[in-house]
Amino acid sequence: MIAYIIRRLLYVIPIVFGVMLITFVLFFVMQTRETMAKAQLGQRAKPAEVSNWLHERGYDKPVIINTDWADSAYHHADKPWWDSIFINQIKNFATFELGESDFNRESIGDKIRSGMIPSLMITMPAMLVGLFLAVAIALVQVLYRASALDTGMTIACAVLMSIVPMAYIIAAQNLMAITLKWGPAFGFDLQGWGTIRFLMLPVTVMAVIYLGSDVRLYRSIFLEEIAQDYVRTAQAKGVSGRGVLFKHVLKNGAISLITLVVAHLPLLIMGSLLIENFFGIPGLGGLVVNAIQKQDFAIVRAAVFIGSLLYLFGLLLTDICYAVADPRIRLS
Amino acid sequence: MFTGITRALCLLATLLLASCDNDPHPKPVVERGRDGGTPLIRYTYQTEAPRSLDPQEAYDQMSRRVLEPVYDCLLEYHPFKTDPYELMPCMLEAMPEKQATANGGVTYLCRLKKGIFFHDDPCFPGGKGREVTAADVRYTWQRIADPKTECPVLSSLWEYLVGMKGANEAAQKNGGKFDYAAPFPALEVVDSHTFKVHLMKPYPQIIYWMAMHFTCPVAREAVEFYDGEQHNGKRRERFKWHPVGTGPFRYVHERSDHDNNFRLVRNERYITTKFPTEGWEPKRDPACRPLAGKPLPIIDEVQIRILREPTPAWLLTKQGYLDSFGVSTDAYTTVVTATHELSPELLARGVSLEKDVDVSTFYTSINMDDPLLGKNKKLRQALACATDASTQNEIFFNGVREVAQQIIPPGFAGFRKDYRNPMSFNLDRAKQLIAEAGYPGGIDPKTGRPLELVLDTSASGSDQRMMTEFEQKCFEKLGIKVSVIENTFAKKIEKEDKGNFQISSLTGWGADYPDPENFFMLFYSKNFPPEGKNISRYKNPDFDKLYEQMATMDPSPERLAIAYKMVDMLNDDCPIILTNHKAFYSLVQPWAPRTHNNMMLEGGIKYLWLDPALREKKRAEWNR
Repeated sequence: MIAYIIRRLLYVIPIVFGVMLITFVLFFVMQTRETMAKAQLGQRAKPAEVSNWLHERGYDKPVIINTDWADSAYHHADKPWWDSIFINQIKNFATFELGESDFNRESIGDKIRSGMIPSLMITMPAMLVGLFLAVAIALVQVLYRASALDTGMTIACAVLMSIVPMAYIIAAQNLMAITLKWGPAFGFDLQGWGTIRFLMLPVTVMAVIYLGSDVRLYRSIFLEEIAQDYVRTAQAKGVSGRGVLFKHVLKNGAISLITLVVAHLPLLIMGSLLIENFFGIPGLGGLVVNAIQKQDFAIVRAAVFIGSLLYLFGLLLTDICYAVADPRIRLS
Repeated sequence: MFTGITRALCLLATLLLASCDNDPHPKPVVERGRDGGTPLIRYTYQTEAPRSLDPQEAYDQMSRRVLEPVYDCLLEYHPFKTDPYELMPCMLEAMPEKQATANGGVTYLCRLKKGIFFHDDPCFPGGKGREVTAADVRYTWQRIADPKTECPVLSSLWEYLVGMKGANEAAQKNGGKFDYAAPFPALEVVDSHTFKVHLMKPYPQIIYWMAMHFTCPVAREAVEFYDGEQHNGKRRERFKWHPVGTGPFRYVHERSDHDNNFRLVRNERYITTKFPTEGWEPKRDPACRPLAGKPLPIIDEVQIRILREPTPAWLLTKQGYLDSFGVSTDAYTTVVTATHELSPELLARGVSLEKDVDVSTFYTSINMDDPLLGKNKKLRQALACATDASTQNEIFFNGVREVAQQIIPPGFAGFRKDYRNPMSFNLDRAKQLIAEAGYPGGIDPKTGRPLELVLDTSASGSDQRMMTEFEQKCFEKLGIKVSVIENTFAKKIEKEDKGNFQISSLTGWGADYPDPENFFMLFYSKNFPPEGKNISRYKNPDFDKLYEQMATMDPSPERLAIAYKMVDMLNDDCPIILTNHKAFYSLVQPWAPRTHNNMMLEGGIKYLWLDPALREKKRAEWNR
C-alpha cells in the first residue's frame, strides 16, 4: 500500500503541471499582458504606468522561455533562459510561494491561510449536519420504502432540489434573521463562542441546499444494499428491521458513501463560492469569487493550483479509505 | 452513546439560544463619546474593497472612501458649496498665493497650519505622532515621483511641476532607487511650515491637485517602518495597509482586514478643521445649525463593511443596521414609486430619499479618424439626433440619471442649467440630416443598400448588452444597418487606444477635479490615446487653440465664455453622442440625516452626525 501511495503522489506532479500549463495558457496566451494591466489599472492608465505595473510584477519577462531568437519586446538578453513568467511561476508554486495579488499586491499565501478557517467553519459543520440528516432521512425512506411516507419524502426532495440556492439564502435571511432573530443576516466576526451566531444561517442554508439531492442519492445506495442476498439472509434469521438497517445496510452502504464524501473533504477548505459571498464570510470561496470579478488572475491561478492539489489528495484519501473499509480491496 | 449525543445537542442548542441576536456588527472600539456619553458609531458599507490605502498610490473611489477620512489634504472642498464646487484651506492656513516667475513659470506659496500632528503610531518615537512640517510635504511630492510608489497621476503632474520628470528618470536609471536627498525643484521648503510649489508653466488647476489625496502629507517614518518585512520575528504590515495620517479619523489596524471590514475612530488630537458656520442648504438647517462651529469629527467611530451583493445591504438597511443605503437597481422598485418618490412604507418609517448627481458624463464616442464618419459631420449629427437619451435613461436607469446636454457635468464652472443641446434627440431632424449627409433614408447611393456602421461595446453584463442594442435600434431608425461587436472591457479599451473602431458605446469620464478643463482635455488633439484619453481622436485647431488658452487661465468671465464656446463646438461637431450624467438615490435613515451632499468629498464623513437613541428605538421597532 505504501508503494501505491508513493506512486500516486508521484502522479500528482505531471497532473498538477498539466493543470498549471492549461491555466497559464488561458491567462497569458489568450490575452495580452497590457490588457491584464489595464484591467487592474483602469482605462485611464498611461503606457508608462502600464509598463511600470508589468515590471513590478515580473510580467514583462518572456512568456515561456527566454530565448535569444525570440523576437519579443520583452526579450531580456542578459538573463538566463529560464527567467520567464511560466518557469518562474512553476518554480514558485513548487515551493508553495504563491506570490502577490494582482489587485492589491497582498501576499496570496497570507490570504489563503486567513481564509481557510472561516471557510472550514461553514463547510465542515454544514457537511456533517447535511450528511447526518441525509443519511437519517434516506434510512427512514428505505425502512418505509414504497409507502406514502417514502413517496412524500421523495416529492419533498424533488422540491428541495428544484429551488434555486438564492431562494434559500433570501428566505433564510428574511425568516431566520428578521422574523425569528436567530442570527445576523450578514457578517462574520471571529470572537470565540460568539462566532456561532454568525454561522447558524450560512450553515443551515448550506446543509439544506444539498439535502434533497443527497437524500435521493443515499436512498438509492441503501435500496441497492437492502436488495442484497445477505440482507435477506439476516431477515430470514430474524434480525429486526432496525438491526438490518444499522448493522448491515448502513455499514455496507458506507463504502459507497466514503467515495462521495471523502473525495470532497479536502475541498471543504476552499469554502463555498455562493454562501460566503452572500453571508459575508471572509473565506476562500469569497476570495476566489472576488478575484474572478476583479480579474485578479494571480489569486485565481493560486486557487486553481491549491484546488487541484486538494482534489488529488481527496482522491488518494478515498482510495485509502476504500481499502480500509472494504477488506476485499487491495491497493497495488 | 445516545445519551452523549443528546447532551452534546442540548449544549449546542443552549449555546445557539444564548447567542440569539441579529445585530451583525462587532463591538465598537470607542466606549465613550466626546462628551463622555454614548459614542456615536456610524455603520456604513461599500460594494468593493479598497485597492490600497496609500494616498500616493490609490486611485479608485473605494480606496478613497477609506483613506480620505484618515488623511487630510492641503486644501479641501467646501462641504456645502457645490454649485459651483469651491475649495477652502484644510492643512494650509490660507489658499496658495500665486506668484509669477521670470522664466514664464508660476510659483505657489503655501503655509501649513501649526499644530497639526500625525496620528499616534509605533513608527514614531514613543508612539506619539509628531507635528507635520513642510519637509513632509516635500517628501510626499518626492514619493509621487518615486517609481516604486506606482503613483497613477505622475505623468499628469510631471508636465507641469519643475523637475518632477527628471527626478523619476534619475530613479529609473538608478535601478528604481529614488534619491530623497537629491535636489527636488518641484517643491521648495522655505521654513518649517512654509513651502513653494514651482510650475514650468501656468496651470491654475494645480490647486485642485492639492485637494486630492495624492498630495496628502505622509510621514517618512511610517513609510519606512511599514515595509512588509520581518522585524524581531514579527512581520510588519505594508504602508499601503497601515495608513498613518493627519485626518479626523485614525485607522484601527487591529480591527480591520483588507477585504471585508474597516474600522476608523475619532482622532482625539484633530484641530485642523471645524464644522462651517454657514453655507448649508435651507432644508439641512435642522441638521447643520446645532453643529455650526463645532470641532470635527462629530462621529466617534466608523465601521465600514464590504457588501459586494446588494441583497444583504438592503436587508441590513431594513433592519436598521446600516445608516444609509445607495438604492441599487434590485431594490429600486421597492424603495421608489413610479413618480420618483419614496415608498409610503419607508416614508412612514421616517426614512428620507436623497438624489446625488455624480461629477461624470457618459457618451458614445465616434472615431474621427474613420474615413466615413470622421469626414461627414452631418452623418455624425444625424446619429446624435437619433439617440433617444431620455428613453434610455427611463428604461435602464429608472429615469434617475440626468440626460446630458453638455460634456460638463452639473456643479462645474461652465455648466449652463437651461442649456439644450441642438443635436439632442429629434428623429425628424435626424432623418433630414442623414439625407443631407448623402444617405437619404439611410441608403448608400453607391451600393443601393443601407449604409453599414459598426458599434463596439463591452459586454460584461446583460444591462450593457441591452443598452447597446437600444442604441443600435436608435441608429437603425435612420434606415441604416448597425452591427454590434461585443468585447471584454479590456479589449474595448485596447481598441479605443489603437483607434480600431468606428463607434464606441458606453464611454465616459468621471471628473478628477471640478474644472471644465478636465473634460475639454478629452478632445485636445495632443491627447490621443494611449497617452491621453481623446478616444474620438478629435482634431480641431480652433478647439485646440481655445483649450490651450483656457487651460492656463484663472477663473474669470472670459474663461467662462470660452468654456461655453467649446461646449457649443463639441455639440455641433459631434465627436461624441452625449447620453447622461450618472446619478443615484440614497436612503437616509431618520437617525442619521445628511448634512451635505458634496460629490467631490469622499472624506466628508467628518461632517456627519447621528442620534444613537433614535437608532436604538427604531431598530427595536423594525426587528420586532
